[in-house]
Amino acid sequence: METLTFKFNATKSVPKHAYVGVVASGDLEILLEPSKEEKAYVVVRTASDGFGETWKNLLDRFFAVHDIAANIEINDFGATPGMVSMRLLQALEVCSSEKTER
Amino acid sequence: MKKLNDSLVELNARERAKAMLDKGTFRELLGPFERLESPHLSQQGIVPQSDDGVVVARGLIDGESAVVIAIEGAFQGGGIGEVSGSKIAGALELAIRDNEKGMRTRAVVVLDSGGVRLQEANYGLLSISEIQSAIVALRKLVPVVGVIPGKIGCFGGMSMTAGLFSTLIMTPEGRLTLNGPEVIEQEAGIAEWDSTDRGLIWNTIGGIQRQATGLVDILVEDDVAAIKEAVQAAFRSEKSNEFRSSQVDFYLSRLTAIDPTKTLTPLELRKMWGAEASMGSVENTVKEHIENDAEEVISRGKIWFKALTGISNPENGNVPAVLCADHELDGELVRYIAVVPNPNSRFPRARHGEVGLEEGWSIAKYVREAIEEDANKEKRRAIVAVVDVPSQAYGYKEELLGIFLSCAASVDAYATARYAGHPVIALLVGQAISGAFLAHGYQANRIIAFDDPGVLVHAMSKQSAARITKRSVEELESASQKVPSIAYDIRSYSTLGAVHELMTGIHADEPGKEDVDQVLNSLAAAIKIARKSPKDLSNRLTSNNAATGRAASIKVRERLAKVWN
Amino acid sequence: MNESELGISSGRSWTTRRDKKARQLAKVEKLVKGRIIPADRIVEVLENLIVTGDCVALEGNNQKQASFLSKALNNVDPDKVNDLHMIMSSVSRPEHLDIFEKGIARKLDFSYSGAQSLRMAQMIEDGVVKVGSIHTYLELYGRLFIDLTPNIALVAADKADAEGNLYTGPNTEETPTIVEATAFRDGIVIVQVNELVDELPRVDIPGSWVDFIVVADRPYQLEALFTRDPRLISEMHILMAMMTIRGIYERHNVTSLNHGVGFNTAAIELILPTYGESLGLKGKICKNWALNPHPTLIPAIESGWVESVHCFGGEVGMEKYVAARPDVFFTGRDGSLRSNRAMSQVAGQYAVDLFIGSTFQIDADGNSSTVTSGRLAGFGGAPNMGADPHGRRHATDAWLNMITGESQIARGQKLVVQMVETYQNGHAPVFVESLDAIKVGHDAKLPVAPVMIYGDDVTHVVTEEGIAYLYKARSLEERRMALAAVAGVTPIGQQCSVEMTEQLRQDGIVALPEDLHVKRTDAKRSLLAAKSIDDLVKWSDGLYEPPAKFRNW
Repeated sequence: METLTFKFNATKSVPKHAYVGVVASGDLEILLEPSKEEKAYVVVRTASDGFGETWKNLLDRFFAVHDIAANIEINDFGATPGMVSMRLLQALEVCSSEKTER
Repeated sequence: MKKLNDSLVELNARERAKAMLDKGTFRELLGPFERLESPHLSQQGIVPQSDDGVVVARGLIDGESAVVIAIEGAFQGGGIGEVSGSKIAGALELAIRDNEKGMRTRAVVVLDSGGVRLQEANYGLLSISEIQSAIVALRKLVPVVGVIPGKIGCFGGMSMTAGLFSTLIMTPEGRLTLNGPEVIEQEAGIAEWDSTDRGLIWNTIGGIQRQATGLVDILVEDDVAAIKEAVQAAFRSEKSNEFRSSQVDFYLSRLTAIDPTKTLTPLELRKMWGAEASMGSVENTVKEHIENDAEEVISRGKIWFKALTGISNPENGNVPAVLCADHELDGELVRYIAVVPNPNSRFPRARHGEVGLEEGWSIAKYVREAIEEDANKEKRRAIVAVVDVPSQAYGYKEELLGIFLSCAASVDAYATARYAGHPVIALLVGQAISGAFLAHGYQANRIIAFDDPGVLVHAMSKQSAARITKRSVEELESASQKVPSIAYDIRSYSTLGAVHELMTGIHADEPGKEDVDQVLNSLAAAIKIARKSPKDLSNRLTSNNAATGRAASIKVRERLAKVWN
Repeated sequence: MNESELGISSGRSWTTRRDKKARQLAKVEKLVKGRIIPADRIVEVLENLIVTGDCVALEGNNQKQASFLSKALNNVDPDKVNDLHMIMSSVSRPEHLDIFEKGIARKLDFSYSGAQSLRMAQMIEDGVVKVGSIHTYLELYGRLFIDLTPNIALVAADKADAEGNLYTGPNTEETPTIVEATAFRDGIVIVQVNELVDELPRVDIPGSWVDFIVVADRPYQLEALFTRDPRLISEMHILMAMMTIRGIYERHNVTSLNHGVGFNTAAIELILPTYGESLGLKGKICKNWALNPHPTLIPAIESGWVESVHCFGGEVGMEKYVAARPDVFFTGRDGSLRSNRAMSQVAGQYAVDLFIGSTFQIDADGNSSTVTSGRLAGFGGAPNMGADPHGRRHATDAWLNMITGESQIARGQKLVVQMVETYQNGHAPVFVESLDAIKVGHDAKLPVAPVMIYGDDVTHVVTEEGIAYLYKARSLEERRMALAAVAGVTPIGQQCSVEMTEQLRQDGIVALPEDLHVKRTDAKRSLLAAKSIDDLVKWSDGLYEPPAKFRNW
């Protein structure tokens, strides 16, 4: 397991938290909480060591388009970068939607 | 489009819990953002999950207050660790409290578990024993319903737990068994069970077979509405006192009618145990195993049983592997029970001291005998489980014939005795491994162990654990330096707070009179304390060692209590 | 000169093949009983019928295997029979390569070598197997009639009657093609059958094409290769399926098509009755198929999406279902499926609007291959489907839709779609600078790299990131950028900037899910019309009978 941390400048705020995914083989869970700071903090714990560069590229691209102020925690159990992107965008859809689920 | 079932199997744990509750009433306790994850996984380089794979939710079922617990099979195979196990046990304990106070609270557990999470090993076993204890107490107050929808199914220690529910519901896709086919194949060879034969797997341990042979109550299609209806019906029926795990004579007579020397197919068993077969006690048609090995096999269990009871030739009952005798200690009668090797056992997979089909039910028989005999007495006799059990029995017939239930029966008996006021003491003289320990000893309100290298407590043999967690034995050993719960030695185990007394200086293999006296004194003292203490297992969390050794278990329960209502 | 003078002057025999056949047949007269070879004498009979150096077609493809005959061939004495030239669609069983190690065979022309691909690459490199060519199915069948006509055909059928008529039923596949090529140029046709019967359900191959029948000790090997358990379809597959339906099938009016086998395409099949229905697309897209009987197509068939399906082969467990839907499937008088690989390959190449499939690697120019390091898997049928047939002349909406230029003689194009995740499991990027196929081809001394689908045939690439409409690109550079824009964070994908992607979106050359009105959070398994094998059984009213290995109950 490897722990990676990232920080990005952010301008957009999001209305609520989001929880997506599961720590299952090839999958990941994402906990996203709005932040009051104009920053995004991402903590990744990943089961696949040695992919820091890929994570950086992936998150760079994500925040280049969606610079949301949020604290994001990712627990990854060997998801492909494609899966990670999809889950991140799903989390974004959840935290941006006005509907609350129950 | 065709109307298809609304699948429960499809859903994740959170959605499953939600599906069991009345619409709009779901309220999750200790959800992902509470971040109660396992503190033990990341220490071993394993990525944890924010809810540790268990969802606890309050809400209403059929308008009545309820708690639903759902295990997430996708995370670590639904394995039970300290946090996930404590979430389950803690929720059930709070339900007991509510029901005792007259606030009726229904309990449903949606199972999807491979059993103990091997990376947390003894924490898993401890938690499971506490879950089991809670179910035995709670089901007397309110029905406790188990659901096995399927995908992982229900295995290991959690299969024994399943055997304790008031009502157990399965879908055809669900699987229920103590040891999975892969484990049996590994331990006993492919000739015993070819784990790649999916047809045989479901025919043996799938919902259809389990229900057809009476080992579960209700078979229902994988459809949310149908399962919900079955759950609600279980609460309405209130047949709360006919627990399968308590029907000792019935199942023992069923087993007696089995000839272990012959092959037995799932279909044959359905004919014998199915609805069409007589539900009364079965004719005893099979002769006792005649062939007798002259050589007596010595085991620590046997040595200590003899030493403590003073009986040099313990009389064998129908199941010679289970020794039972009453002997006076400190002016009161104490019942001693031990499981010992029987090279002539009818069931070949249970000849080396394993807890097998007959052993589980026989332990239950002896314990229940004491409960019945003392029912009207003010002082209930103490029961001492002399523990030296290498494992449960690994075999195809064992699983087909429901060894999970046989082990559940002894759990049930011990817990019932304890709640009835019998002090139950486990004396660990040798190995205390896995399901065998859960069945024989783990329900004790006090555990006494010898500080001796031969005393081992664990969820699985080292080799098997290494294989299953994909680590080498060396890696496993080095991990156990950091995480005492996965170590095998008794000293590591005792840091977890469940050991009441760790006795040093005992000659475990050749006890002298001094050793025996010392042990008897300790037993007497433990019995005395047990009589004054709560009848549940809460003392394990209030011991000195528990403050650190069970810190997460305590924290989970405290946090749960705060948000319960 | 008159004709008789010509004949005399040449002085040669025009019946050498026929004469040779007669000689070989005479040798086994005492070993056989008429057309029937006793199973226990099969090796001896083969040793007498086959001559060293013969060209032998051994039936075996990715589904059906003449397993009894391949074992028998592996047991002939290499001193008596050797140096054979084997023609095999698929090299699948260990003995298919054992015969080369023993020297029984020397040269090989084939299409596909799935399970044996690793060993195959090694044996070619070591010179144990001398490869003629690696083919697509269709070109291998074609060559049977041109320059690779077999002396011997070893094939499999379900049933035979005393006259040698054969019933090959749902698994007819390539048997008639091999038999025709062999029988009509004086080769010897030997057929293993599961049983000999008095009356056949129908005749798939007439007895006059067949020389010998042998009743095998066990039924021929048959694999369920096209069954995908819906349980294993992920949200990612569903997201890509949604994009494909919106961004390709709907946009271009795709009515006739072929799906490769995989979870991606299974996801498309399973969301037609739900997602497709919600878009009002029923009756507009996906009506006519060249496809094996995929169990995952059942819900679409049952809900009225599918007009017709022609099959390359059968699929274990689908027999009764297919037989009960003769309006949709091609069935015989007995009611059961008639598959035909050669015909379906022709149909899949010329008669459909679209091919969609997956691959292991794609390079910057869109060339793709399933050949990865050390594995020489061959092609099967994908290159036929995944190519624009320049001989096509009939026009359909989808075909015309691919026209981008203004020319008076512009022609349409087949839609060739590659559908991949940007990374495989294990973090291997699918988009790579250079295909492994180049090195594998080099090591095996192949004349050309084993590319499965050439980039210039690919019209669309779908990934979880979006769709690249490659056919619209106005330059090679733009084409590369479009591909990079959907290649995620692979090294290829890194070449496309955020701004560039934005430009390509505006130009309609790249579409992201939001451009297609596809919400990622809608990509849920609840969209699947069937979520399990059991659901498929229910959709089929119990007619689909999945093999045990797919059952969860």
